[in-house]
Amino acid sequence: MSRKTALVVAPGRGTYNKEELGYLKRHHAHHVELIAGFDAERRRMGQRPLHDLDGAERYSVNEFSRGDNASGLIHACAICDFLDIDTDQYEVVAITGNSMGWYLALACSGSLAQQDGFKLVNTMGTFMQDGLIGGQMIYPFVDDAWREIPGKRTALLSLIEEVPGLYLSIELGGMLVLAGEESALAAAEARLEPIGGRFPMRLANHAAFHTPLQQPVSERGRGALPVELFGKPSWPLVDGRGHIWYPFETSVPDLWDYTLGHQVVQHYDFSAAVRHGVREFAPEVIILLGPGGTLGGAIAQVLIADEWRGLTSKTEFAERQSSDPILLSMGLADQRAKVVSRGKAQTSNLTPWANGRSAE
Amino acid sequence: MDRAEIVHQNFLRRVGEGDFPLPRSKVSLRDVGMTAEQLVAIFRAQVISRQLDRRSRTLQAEGHGFYTIGSSGHEGNAAIAAALRVDDPAFLHYRDGAFQVARALKATGQTPVRDMLLSFVCSSDDPISGGRHKVLGSKPLSIPPQTSTIASHLPKAVGAAYSIGLARRHRPEHQQYPDDAIVMCSFGDASLNHSTAQGAVNTAGWTCYKGTPLPLLFVCEDNGIGISVKSPKGWVEASLRARPGLEYFSCDGLDMIDAFAVAKTAEQWVRRHRKPAVLHMECVRLYGHAGADAQTVYLARHEIEEAEANDPLLHSARRLIDETTLSAQDVLTVYGQEEQRIARVANDVIARPKLQTAAQVRASIVPAKRTCLLSNGPSPEARAAVFGDADLRAMGEPQHLARNINFALNDLMLEHEEIVLAGEDIGCKGGVYGVTQRLHGRFGARRVIDTLLDEQSILGLAIGLGQNGFIPIPEIQFLAYLHNAEDQLRGEAATLSFFSDGQFTNPMIVRIAGLAYQRGFGGHFHNDNSIAVLRDIPGLIIACPSNGRDATLMLRESVRLAREEQRIVVFLEPIALYMTRDLHAEGDSLWTHTYPQPGTQSPSFGEVGTEGKGTDLAIVTYGNGYYRSVQAQKRLLDDHGLQSTVVDIRWLAPLPAQSLLDATEACERILIVDECRSTGSQSEALMAFFGENSTKPVSRITADDCFIPTGPAYGATLPSRDDVIAAALALVTTGRRTQ
Repeated sequence: MSRKTALVVAPGRGTYNKEELGYLKRHHAHHVELIAGFDAERRRMGQRPLHDLDGAERYSVNEFSRGDNASGLIHACAICDFLDIDTDQYEVVAITGNSMGWYLALACSGSLAQQDGFKLVNTMGTFMQDGLIGGQMIYPFVDDAWREIPGKRTALLSLIEEVPGLYLSIELGGMLVLAGEESALAAAEARLEPIGGRFPMRLANHAAFHTPLQQPVSERGRGALPVELFGKPSWPLVDGRGHIWYPFETSVPDLWDYTLGHQVVQHYDFSAAVRHGVREFAPEVIILLGPGGTLGGAIAQVLIADEWRGLTSKTEFAERQSSDPILLSMGLADQRAKVVSRGKAQTSNLTPWANGRSAE
Repeated sequence: MDRAEIVHQNFLRRVGEGDFPLPRSKVSLRDVGMTAEQLVAIFRAQVISRQLDRRSRTLQAEGHGFYTIGSSGHEGNAAIAAALRVDDPAFLHYRDGAFQVARALKATGQTPVRDMLLSFVCSSDDPISGGRHKVLGSKPLSIPPQTSTIASHLPKAVGAAYSIGLARRHRPEHQQYPDDAIVMCSFGDASLNHSTAQGAVNTAGWTCYKGTPLPLLFVCEDNGIGISVKSPKGWVEASLRARPGLEYFSCDGLDMIDAFAVAKTAEQWVRRHRKPAVLHMECVRLYGHAGADAQTVYLARHEIEEAEANDPLLHSARRLIDETTLSAQDVLTVYGQEEQRIARVANDVIARPKLQTAAQVRASIVPAKRTCLLSNGPSPEARAAVFGDADLRAMGEPQHLARNINFALNDLMLEHEEIVLAGEDIGCKGGVYGVTQRLHGRFGARRVIDTLLDEQSILGLAIGLGQNGFIPIPEIQFLAYLHNAEDQLRGEAATLSFFSDGQFTNPMIVRIAGLAYQRGFGGHFHNDNSIAVLRDIPGLIIACPSNGRDATLMLRESVRLAREEQRIVVFLEPIALYMTRDLHAEGDSLWTHTYPQPGTQSPSFGEVGTEGKGTDLAIVTYGNGYYRSVQAQKRLLDDHGLQSTVVDIRWLAPLPAQSLLDATEACERILIVDECRSTGSQSEALMAFFGENSTKPVSRITADDCFIPTGPAYGATLPSRDDVIAAALALVTTGRRTQ
């Protein structure tokens, strides 16, 4: 049987929640050495080990959603998930991620060694938490069927233009993530019509990621994470501009510069990342790494907006998911079962596009 | 076996066996300052282009694809793309798929594989043409689309290069190209022989020779054959090496390091010197001209195999293995993975929507309106400084048509700095009929350009200027001179919005001195009375004023149409009326008009003019015909008691349908007076129009299907005042035209 081609999507912050507590323990006991390596870096940084956090009896929003904890936890879950993709069934053709998921995508692609990948995400998460400059909130521009409400997105973009200090942070399927200092967020909230008692929704412990306010974090990152940590990816990577980095021809200094520069201080277009990923690689499925599965909605909204393989509404997407799923979320038990190899605790035997080689 | 399959199998086998064609260049990556990554990126573009070519054939065989003219053998142009900037406008040869892919890979956030496949299947999702035509092109990649089949894109590339230099001094509001960009324009070795290409190459050299900046890089892609006719060996080099004003470079399109190195040298030379150059790229043609072309009919087997043995991808593979750490297996992996993903993406795009209705196809013929800065017009001080006392005084007195147009051009150039005039003798001389007098002195040689004698170059200049945000007003000295250049309007300017789904535009007003009735300056070439060649061009507007007041107001409206609505307007000026002052009797000065001051309400586009309110008869006409019909109107009334309305169509295309119906509604009969020939003239369209939309008796008089003679018989074939009178009487008395 031929393998299915897959676009892999790495999740962003906010995906390790109460339900995910114990994710590593449940799914990744066989990756104990890898996680131990991550924890060594945590201990070096004076941070609580992931093993402890994941094994905690109780989930605490305050502790788990902090950048310095959430980043490491999500990274470990996602990397381990990536390593567990059943390569007899799936051929990864490209990798992307949302926001912090870009660091995870880099690590999955082999652009950074496992420990260096962890160092990148943990360090940037820590810097974000140290500064915690500004905040984020989320607001939709699609209806209940996940179809764009005419004029809504434009109106949101106009709001950003009009409110001083308010920025577009992430294009997230049928939603926009807005960011800025408290005053800007408050001004925006005052002008946004409340929807369903949920929106506009503030994101706890999130800074104004992907805005110029993060310039200090970008500079600290450049100082702490030298270009030598980076290498060429072994799979094509789709970044937060929808730009594709191909294995052999990626300029490592350029990749480093984008990751710690533009990616940190300019808006992250996750919608373009998914759209270009499916358009240019035409995968048969999209595999969303765990933990959690909340990003699946945004991915589906991108597919619907693009009328990907005829999808035009949430209902059609749901029907497709129940018959022949196009999106497989490893953070959801039933879908995870379709992705991982059964009873096989594997290290990576994925076949990369570049066979792990560089052009230099 | 199909040649495309043979080339494919050769590649797999020879790379696998390490059996490569002999090296053609000794330069290394290090020698030319290239990185390994750049080399692989060029190779990937070449592979994508090659696999797209192969897939296009499969798609066609399956009934999903509609285009198979490929780029195989020309993939060296990917190295040229690598040497240029993404924002250097590139007017591409139709075999430049690899160039476009390479540029897309170099740019940020592009999806070249899907985009190209969408164009193969003519999906309305195709981001450049919206499914209208298979063209190379991309707005974000600065690649204006055209078919480039007959080298007719070269003149506008010259114009675009000129516009870049001009924009530094006169910044257009809608400037598109950066000040330090260079224009690239590629074409094949066979196309080099087109007179259009020769004219453009000559114009580039001429422009440089006289010291005008022209940052332009021509690229002649020489595969040695044009469909079935071989170029004589060495012909391209012999033709291009020693052109005055044109620097010559040559590169090996089979060797991506050599091609990149020379292209980089040429690019830097052009950018630094801001002078034109030509890069002669040798390459091969694989698979024949297009899908259905059987090369074996005109090429010997060994010639076909010789080209295939020199497949540029084989040369590239050898270079990658020799110059980077990639192995033969890595090369084959890239080749195979691109093949697979292109097959997957192709499978997706065939399900994407296609254009279905005529309205959808037509939708981009007329581009969208654009927002322009508001203007209050030139200040009194600025006008006083430009016009001077004499002209300002003259404006208060009735003037003839030519003088009115001259005043209007002055005011328009004062108001809009992006207006540029160009034509033969329009500068220092002030035009053959003085219409552009003093403009050169007032606005300078950069905005009032004395061009060389080549109408294709004049219109190409206008297209290039228009694409870069200027409002060009080129002049064709006589209507008959348009004909050797009309494809620049028909095939290039008018199709740009259509091919680009409205993303690229080239607004302009083409002033043409034309039509017949010149008493002292006869002959066909100065009195041509056919505009059939313009009438059927979709989207093109033809304006034809008959008097000085209308000319002024219609010229202002034409500039508004070009500036705000991005339209292409042909402004047809009746030469015989330029200096005409009198209407009915010598000295009556009834055909002179006081210059309408800026701000005067203009007749809007599509609004006809009328003289009189008589209802016995409507005389529908334009230009010289209007002048003669107004003369006849008086006689008809005075001598025969016939009351008529004379309708000046003003806007000949598109036909102002509703306005014509409104203007003729009260009249019992309609006489069409057309100074152009019986065949192909407006009168045909008008007869059909009134036949379909009116029950009134309609007849016409026209010029004969004849050329205009020199000498006393200059008007023998043309409708005269008395002919109009006779036709009107015939229509009224018999309901038929005169015999």
